[in-house]
Amino acid sequence: MVYTKKSPALFIIGLVMLLWGWLNASGNIDGLQQYFQKSAYSDHMKVKEKFDAEFRVATEMAAAESKPAPDMKMPHSKFDDAKAFQSKMCFIFGGVATLLGLLVMVWTPKEGNLDYYLSIFPGMAYMLMIAFLVRWGLDPMFANWGKAAQPTLGWNFASIFNLNYVVLGIVIGIVIVNVFKIPDWAANGVRTARFFLKTGVILLGALYSATELAQLGAISVLMIGVFVLGSIGVVLYMGRRMNTGNSMTAVLASGVGVCGVSAAVAAAPVVNAKAAEIAYTIGTILVWGVGCMFLFPTVGHLLGMGPVQFGAWAGTGILNSAQVAGAALAFDPHGIETLKVAEIFNITRVLFLPIVVLWLATWYVKHEVGAEKVDLGKVLFAKFPVFVLGFILMFALSTMGAFTPSGHYQGKYFSSEQIKEDKLLKGKETKAVEAELVRLKEAAGTKQLQDFFTEKAINIGQRHATPEDAHKGLAELIANKKMTTRDQERLLKAVGKMKGLDAVTANAIDKASKAAYHSSKTIGAFRDWLAWLFSIGLIGLGMQITMAALKQAGGTPLIIGGVVGTAKAVGSLIVVLLFIKEFI
Amino acid sequence: MSEQKFERGTSLSIFVSDRREDIGSLIFALLIAIGIVLVVGK
Repeated sequence: MVYTKKSPALFIIGLVMLLWGWLNASGNIDGLQQYFQKSAYSDHMKVKEKFDAEFRVATEMAAAESKPAPDMKMPHSKFDDAKAFQSKMCFIFGGVATLLGLLVMVWTPKEGNLDYYLSIFPGMAYMLMIAFLVRWGLDPMFANWGKAAQPTLGWNFASIFNLNYVVLGIVIGIVIVNVFKIPDWAANGVRTARFFLKTGVILLGALYSATELAQLGAISVLMIGVFVLGSIGVVLYMGRRMNTGNSMTAVLASGVGVCGVSAAVAAAPVVNAKAAEIAYTIGTILVWGVGCMFLFPTVGHLLGMGPVQFGAWAGTGILNSAQVAGAALAFDPHGIETLKVAEIFNITRVLFLPIVVLWLATWYVKHEVGAEKVDLGKVLFAKFPVFVLGFILMFALSTMGAFTPSGHYQGKYFSSEQIKEDKLLKGKETKAVEAELVRLKEAAGTKQLQDFFTEKAINIGQRHATPEDAHKGLAELIANKKMTTRDQERLLKAVGKMKGLDAVTANAIDKASKAAYHSSKTIGAFRDWLAWLFSIGLIGLGMQITMAALKQAGGTPLIIGGVVGTAKAVGSLIVVLLFIKEFI
Repeated sequence: MSEQKFERGTSLSIFVSDRREDIGSLIFALLIAIGIVLVVGK
């Protein structure tokens, strides 16, 4: 049988990509791109204003000295970079697709490997083109709509409902398969979706580092571990009792236990989950998370919870990252402590992913094999998903500092030594900090600091921050003109948010704080690759979710997800109220 | 070549076995990681 279908589709997709690349490169669609790339465009306008002013001065100086007008070029803005990136991607992939499309049209391959692997390109290009549409069009468009509706609604619907490339990719895939069906020429290529998802999961390991655990106390790690592993145990038990099917149960367990969408995607290939089962899990997590996001802040206020307590509860009890952040901000819109604690708890759940995947792999193999007495070790060796080892390998490499300084937190790391000369505090700023330090050392200033630290539960390590810590930190900032330690930076950053603080001092602290953190370009590149791999994989995944498959899965996953989610929320609330005080 | 060589039923993969797909994705991921470290640096 010959798999490669004679169709002009790949050639046309290639031409469409090349056209988009050309439109970007020539500037013909700048108006449209200004709408999609709003923040990059505002950066562009700032760069342009600065350049125009410099050019005017240089031209005037040249005219005064009777010299010709200077030859100056405007530096690249983020907007230029974004357009150049789109052009580059479209030219590379569009060019390849056009050439292969011509080959598919004019050449009839013989039956064999070459024919089979050639047949996957039209489908891959199809998924890539939709990924372009989602990442460059739908994702920023929903983000813009969410922001625009925020003043009226009081919350950002795009962020709360996770309307980013992950969800939009799956949804568009579902729409395509159910409304238009997958065309014959694309069928084989769509089957590469799982390969891209697996590669993405391996690279996911590079984003995290075990040093993140160091930010938490032993009680918190224990609490997260108990709830993650406990919820998984309960879902597995309930799934067996309710005959939900092994793969459905396992993927739901990962989603409900760890942290939502990425965990469900990571566990899916391990247990041979069907696309509809992943869709059910993601649906359960999102619906449940949105309900929690509205309910948690109200309960938190009714029970008089502190910022650390609420952050710990939201970070443990709510299943999805965006909704954890939403609940933390709804509880304390002006504070940073709640959000920070909630995010640390939330991220730490991901660190349990390797353990969870190993557990689910063992559980699945054991239950699939069923009553037959087999050597579990042998079966595991034969069936164990090798890509999970890849995730663990990347995680280990990231922890050891192979990609960026080992102490990084989601790709950001503190380094006093790397602060550039022009980022040091200027004379006017150090003088303002000096004057503010004198004021804060007086009785009224010291009381102001003490009250602020108590109200916001600001800590250094495992103890309360004191006004003397702030005095020392500010004195060191004046002496060094920069932040020198992570503790100093964290404390002063909190002080910078104190009401009644001199505006120049607050700005100086903010500037020094930002200067001390460096974003790892390597981790940024990993994140970009991951986003593309997941985009393509999830679109392909969506294309495998038919209405018939959803009906077949039934409503039991929603019931199990709801019961376990409620138990987790109530259980973590009790533990937080009993054991988590002000320290994390 | 028989049709079965590539047909995977509902598991939807182009590879003849999960192990081969896993190893393929592992190699692809390592190539990306090496490429990032070489091009972007640390």
